[in-house]
Amino acid sequence: MRWIIAVVVALAALTGLTPAQTTSIWDGVYTDAQAARGELAFGAHCASCHGANLGGTGEAPALAGPQFLADFDGLSAGDLFDRIRTTMPQDNPGSLTRDQLADILAFLLKANGLPPGAKELDRRSEYLKAIGFSATKP
Amino acid sequence: MGPKLLSGLLSGLLAGAMCAGLAGSAGAQSPDVGWTSYTGDITGSRYKPLDQINAANFSKLEVAWRFKTDNIGNRPEYKLEGTPLEVGGVVYATAGSRRAVVALDAATGELLWVHGEKEGARGAAAPRQLSGRGPAYWSDGKEARILYVTPGYQLIALDAKTGQRVASFGNNGAVDLKADSDQAIKPDLTSGEIGWQSAPTVVGDKVLVGSSFREGFTPSTADNNKGTARAYDVHTGRKVWEFHTIPRKGEPGYETWLNGSAEHTGNTGVWTEITADPDAGLVYLPVESPTSDFYGGTRPGNNLYGNSLVAVDINTGKVKWFYQFIHHEIWDYDMSSAPLLMDITVGGKPIKAVVEPSKMGFLYVFDRITGKPVWPIPERKVPKGDVPGEWYAPTQPIPSKPAAYARTGVSESDLVDFTPDLHQKALALAKNYRIGPIYTPPVVSKAGGPLATLGLGPANGGTNWPGGSFNPQNHTVYTYACNSCLLAMGLVPPPAGMSDLPYVIGQAGQPVVMINAAGADQGADAPLAKRPPARGGGGGRLTVDGLPLIKPPYGTISAINLDTGTIQWQVAHGETPDYVRNHPALKGMALPRTGQTGFNIGTLLTKDLVIAGDADVTTTSDHPRGAMLRAYDQKTGKEVGSVLMPAGQSGSPMTYMIHGKQYIIVAVSGGNYSGEYICYTLPSE
Repeated sequence: MRWIIAVVVALAALTGLTPAQTTSIWDGVYTDAQAARGELAFGAHCASCHGANLGGTGEAPALAGPQFLADFDGLSAGDLFDRIRTTMPQDNPGSLTRDQLADILAFLLKANGLPPGAKELDRRSEYLKAIGFSATKP
Repeated sequence: MGPKLLSGLLSGLLAGAMCAGLAGSAGAQSPDVGWTSYTGDITGSRYKPLDQINAANFSKLEVAWRFKTDNIGNRPEYKLEGTPLEVGGVVYATAGSRRAVVALDAATGELLWVHGEKEGARGAAAPRQLSGRGPAYWSDGKEARILYVTPGYQLIALDAKTGQRVASFGNNGAVDLKADSDQAIKPDLTSGEIGWQSAPTVVGDKVLVGSSFREGFTPSTADNNKGTARAYDVHTGRKVWEFHTIPRKGEPGYETWLNGSAEHTGNTGVWTEITADPDAGLVYLPVESPTSDFYGGTRPGNNLYGNSLVAVDINTGKVKWFYQFIHHEIWDYDMSSAPLLMDITVGGKPIKAVVEPSKMGFLYVFDRITGKPVWPIPERKVPKGDVPGEWYAPTQPIPSKPAAYARTGVSESDLVDFTPDLHQKALALAKNYRIGPIYTPPVVSKAGGPLATLGLGPANGGTNWPGGSFNPQNHTVYTYACNSCLLAMGLVPPPAGMSDLPYVIGQAGQPVVMINAAGADQGADAPLAKRPPARGGGGGRLTVDGLPLIKPPYGTISAINLDTGTIQWQVAHGETPDYVRNHPALKGMALPRTGQTGFNIGTLLTKDLVIAGDADVTTTSDHPRGAMLRAYDQKTGKEVGSVLMPAGQSGSPMTYMIHGKQYIIVAVSGGNYSGEYICYTLPSE
């Protein structure tokens, strides 16, 4: 058992993930269908401030591009999920369901060029914390 | 949160803490040094001559305590801008989406009392919500009071020991700054647009307050409420004087508003910190621009006292002298910074000076008694515009000395040039815009170009609300400046129902977006289910392959000696952003530190150090994810130490000494990190 832990820690060090993170946003952690649902929800609830092209307006930051990825680099998908869940939309936080939030997060990942996969993003932040967020491919 | 919450329970603890503070100062150890006003004193210095924390040990700093502000209000805040006070072993700060005042044990961070005001619809309508910049402190040696302005624009006086309202002040501890104005606030006291987010200044037995409004990019009306600055009696809450930033008929300056436009123009607030010289009997008011920030066709003329520094009599509020920095302002430069009251020596002659850092990147220096410029500030011809209906001032004053300490206009040589390819792409992007020297005016946005005028300084650039700092011993100003805060100033007609002005900020071909003040609809009184006005999509950012259009340094700290009027040194402030350092096009290039594009950075001065944090988090081979709090040598600008913080600096740092220990508090927040005050000190040896 001890050597397994050692290997996991060593792998984590190699991939830039923390020990609690077993996958990365680069590993195909959402599906195309989920991102498509997320795009609709984004258009309805987020685009008015962040821009339909995710370019940002006024004080609302851009949600696509290298600066956005850098802002959350080293955290987890769960950290971004919780930032959205607890504070967004700014005029009505708490109004979106967890499924909608997961869909929107999937859309953000897709818009930032991260690959889709076969499994949908989880709707629980505790599980999303295991997915490392890194600005560059580990 | 009720105002009485915790007060009774914890007042005993506070008394104990204060006794401990007194006992500490009586020993052989270093005497206590407090931080009694937002800028450390009422001169704007942000300076304390402490050196227990110094170049040799700065990097050893450790966290003494943290104060998370999430529960001060019904939602967390990600924009904590406060600078706390410290008096007699107690830290006082504004905090949270409620903008409550908290009193904390200065050595341990223990909460002693908290006072918040639920303002309901009035708080929800406030133009400037969230935690604000800080409270003020007053004492006559027997009694001590904390004064602050709520989001809903009430001046509150609290007993510093208990956090309870002082019943003899105003109406049971509160003055309604809307009702007690010379103007009738439109349309009513609840929803009428006027407020303040800065910290009051206490001078003798007077407390000074200003005024601010929503962002002026897309105002709904030119006929907004008017700016004001006031002095109140700190004992009674009675108004002593009120200064009209827009003169009334019969008052001097009214004639600078052609066609009687002083009557129907608003804004022109005093939104930043006020400083005062009690010996000279003068209060210095930095006044912002009139309605609107980028279109002034409804207010022809030079528009006094817009964009002016006004010295008024401390007892009467009457104008002693003034200086207008920008005639007929249309760039959102405002007057952003606390006036710095410094004594300098120029050519062997001692001068009591007032020094104004600015978004324009100029440092303006005057004799603070007479208002005469220390070095000439000649009027220079500036580019004219062609926006229908606009009125243009043909000249603007440009200081001859000191030289500009930040980029002013935009030229092709300011565009990104890491590689020839990137520079060519930048030139191609810039072709869609008008560029030029400072005071190149906004344009009507056209789909075929120009889309807008590009400006460095308007809105966010140069030195913004944190202002500068100075060391009274070496007569040197130390100030941060954003060197890359690029703004596209394009004008478009507003969509039906948005505004009665003919033009607002926008871009041809894009839906016009209502741009609110930072924090609007985010305060604790804002209803959770409120829907904003319908908004459209947004424009793209001014970037080239994801890199900023403007080349580094993105942000700087400058040291400017005012005996000579020269820039002594200038350093890029802030770690190179990850997305720049790791950019594929820059692989293998040895980039010097670029600094960061932020406008919330204020500097703290100790005996020999300049201290300021990075605005943004980075991850490098030298440190894990975080933002550095840095110390620079005041003489050379060399970085002498740094400490890793969990998030960027969002409020300016301060320092104090109690029980023989020096502490530094800084507000951090942003990204995924909600507001937190972090207190640092040296490890016990």
